Amino acid sequence: MPENAAHGRSGNGRGLLVSILVLIVLAPLGYYVVRGTAVALGGKPSVEFLERPATQDDRCIWNMEAGEMRLHHWEHLARIREDVVRFGKRDVPGLNECRNCHQSRANFCDRCHNQVSLTPDCFGCHYYPDNEHWDPQRFPER
Amino acid sequence: MAGGSGALALRLLTTSSAGAPGKDSPLAGKRMGMVIDVGKCQPDCDKCIKACQQENNVVQAAAHKNHELAVHWIRKVTIRKKIETDEKAKKAEAAQKSVILVCNHCDNPPCAQVCPVRATFKREDGIVLVDHHRCIGCRYCMIACPYNARYFNFEDVEVHEEDLNKDRPKRSHGVAESCTLCAHRLDAVDQDGNPSPRVPACVEACENGALAVGDMNDKTSTVYELLRDYAVKRLKEDLGTEPKVHYIGL
Amino acid sequence: MEIKFERVEGTSFQYRVALLVFGGFALVGLLSTLWVMKYGIGRTGMTNRVPWGLQIVMAVYYIGLSAGSLVISGLYGVFGKLEYKPFARIAVYLATLFLIAGLLSILTDQGRLDRVFVQPFVHFNLQSMFSINPILYNGHILICLIYLWALFTERKRTTTVVATLAFGWAFCVHSGTGAIFGFGARVLYESPLLPASFVAAAMASGTALMIVMIVGLFRATNRPLDDELICWLGRFLAICVLVVFYFLFVENAYRFYVVELREAAHYFLFGGFHSLLFWIGLIFFGLVVPMCILFNPRTGKSIPWIVLASSLVIFGVLCERYVIVVPGLTNPPDLFPGMEIVHDPALVEGYATYSISTQEVLQALGVLGVVGFLFLLGLKYLELLPTEARIHPD
Repeated sequence: MPENAAHGRSGNGRGLLVSILVLIVLAPLGYYVVRGTAVALGGKPSVEFLERPATQDDRCIWNMEAGEMRLHHWEHLARIREDVVRFGKRDVPGLNECRNCHQSRANFCDRCHNQVSLTPDCFGCHYYPDNEHWDPQRFPER
Repeated sequence: MAGGSGALALRLLTTSSAGAPGKDSPLAGKRMGMVIDVGKCQPDCDKCIKACQQENNVVQAAAHKNHELAVHWIRKVTIRKKIETDEKAKKAEAAQKSVILVCNHCDNPPCAQVCPVRATFKREDGIVLVDHHRCIGCRYCMIACPYNARYFNFEDVEVHEEDLNKDRPKRSHGVAESCTLCAHRLDAVDQDGNPSPRVPACVEACENGALAVGDMNDKTSTVYELLRDYAVKRLKEDLGTEPKVHYIGL
Repeated sequence: MEIKFERVEGTSFQYRVALLVFGGFALVGLLSTLWVMKYGIGRTGMTNRVPWGLQIVMAVYYIGLSAGSLVISGLYGVFGKLEYKPFARIAVYLATLFLIAGLLSILTDQGRLDRVFVQPFVHFNLQSMFSINPILYNGHILICLIYLWALFTERKRTTTVVATLAFGWAFCVHSGTGAIFGFGARVLYESPLLPASFVAAAMASGTALMIVMIVGLFRATNRPLDDELICWLGRFLAICVLVVFYFLFVENAYRFYVVELREAAHYFLFGGFHSLLFWIGLIFFGLVVPMCILFNPRTGKSIPWIVLASSLVIFGVLCERYVIVVPGLTNPPDLFPGMEIVHDPALVEGYATYSISTQEVLQALGVLGVVGFLFLLGLKYLELLPTEARIHPD
């Protein structure tokens, strides 16, 4: 019978079908795995400096150290976002206030985000000046 | 400055995370509503619409290739009694009314009920908002809204930087939206974090005094007085959605 | 009675062409979905007045097809009719695929596809039919997979249990799908009958699809098939069609009887393109002609006629899905009773229009392509098809 002849081959075939189904299910997950790996292999370890603010006062309005800022700013932003949108609490400065001092999105936000291959949705809606000026004065010497 | 920022940091850290609103919620006890005096609204005036678009970065209909994709937080229709013959139609010309339509901020909002991700929700003070950070764009809220007051961002339209109100967000494509009753103005705070509410952009722009927005529980507010002194109608009251936009002389 | 299942060889010219065609569809659908993701769904036929279009129609339709297929497998699994055992595997497999198709259609219709995999699971809203339905759909897929496993491993008791569960679950799935519309605020949507009528239409379209698939597959692969089996399915289909007809009649009669709904009913029945689909597509070709064929003693026993009737029902139910989804949206809400809107600079006055765009058709075809592709692969790599389907094997 021809079916028997095909039997050995189709044993692999069933595996193929199952793997296709599993791939479809896991595709969204796989995307992040692949991208994360690509970043880990090709990217630089971390950003060493951020642009300092244009104003004289060096202190951040959030009163945070730069390191903590780098690691946790999105958590604070997300919490402020919930408070503003859901509970009407507008007494904490948010994204709009960041740009009062850090006037360039390219230098302040995108430098890090690009290196870790992140494209946050923020700037699709929230205005942040996109000027790519480079002022060496505002970067600490390394 | 250092002391000020210290206080800010304290507020930043103690501010409630997502969950139940705290006792110090600025919205507690409020019930925001709108009163529209149809008789005072001038037929060929569109100042409120322009002001809304300017304030909230709502793209003008003309900027869309397909006008049916345009977003209208506030719009104006002209209505008249249903009439059969031409003769009566002439008489009725004078009886035309222009009516402002906005999101009704229902007490029982069907849009919030059907939202699968709770992106649409009713705030503690009764304003119905869309969390654009969370909306997945399923458009079920538009189906559920009995007032056609919800709109979808079908496409991105470029806005020139000089036309942009930079303190307010635009919307990316793929999310639903509607009138927010200018919530950002109502719960604005001053430098020290004390409330300093401003009236919504449309109310500010209306020179005829046809619009009023305020706290219906506050006995000193215009809205309270208007609701006390006038007979008001609401749209489609039979549905039980309990809208909070009231019309005088509809 | 021993029934042997086997794989098809999958080396014939026709098989490869079919695989290529469906694969092509899937690819085109994928490309158009990526395009839509990039530019937003603004270039479809949908507008702010008609925010749901062909994708939702197709989603509802695919989910319906899935239920009906499950019914056929239930004949063996639940009711123990051994003569329908040959079709059980293929029916469950199709049910699974079409449910996946329904989910794909809904997915590709979302404005923010990037958030669909996160937000609904994090922020759950049990008040929303859109939150309840994914549980029903995904649960259904899971149950179908367990059912398939039970069938493949020939576990009789498990099969009966899972089949009964799947049968009941399918009813919930279709009631839930109907409830998306039936519990809405639109005049032409709001109806507690809708969930029930969804179940009926789903059974009709699914049974019809199974008849076409079974006859087509058995003829194409030269397998013996007893006519009587198909004739019985035909009679079952006829009854389903009758029930669909009954629900449609009750609903429209009610709308005409109640004064406040009369205007909407008039728009539904005589209001434009959708009325044409309703009368010609659904009532005439979808219900009346198939019923004439199936209840006629002569044509009701002829396989070609039954297949024709089934194809018409499949088409008719597609029309039914369209006339449920679209006219309910194009019919505007009456905001000012007793008044008429003279001028509306923002929105189009009166009835809205909706025209199907190429974009949506390509996406719908893409989903169909995925189903067809996976089905063909299943035929080749899973033991889906029986060697024969006969009531009294020698």
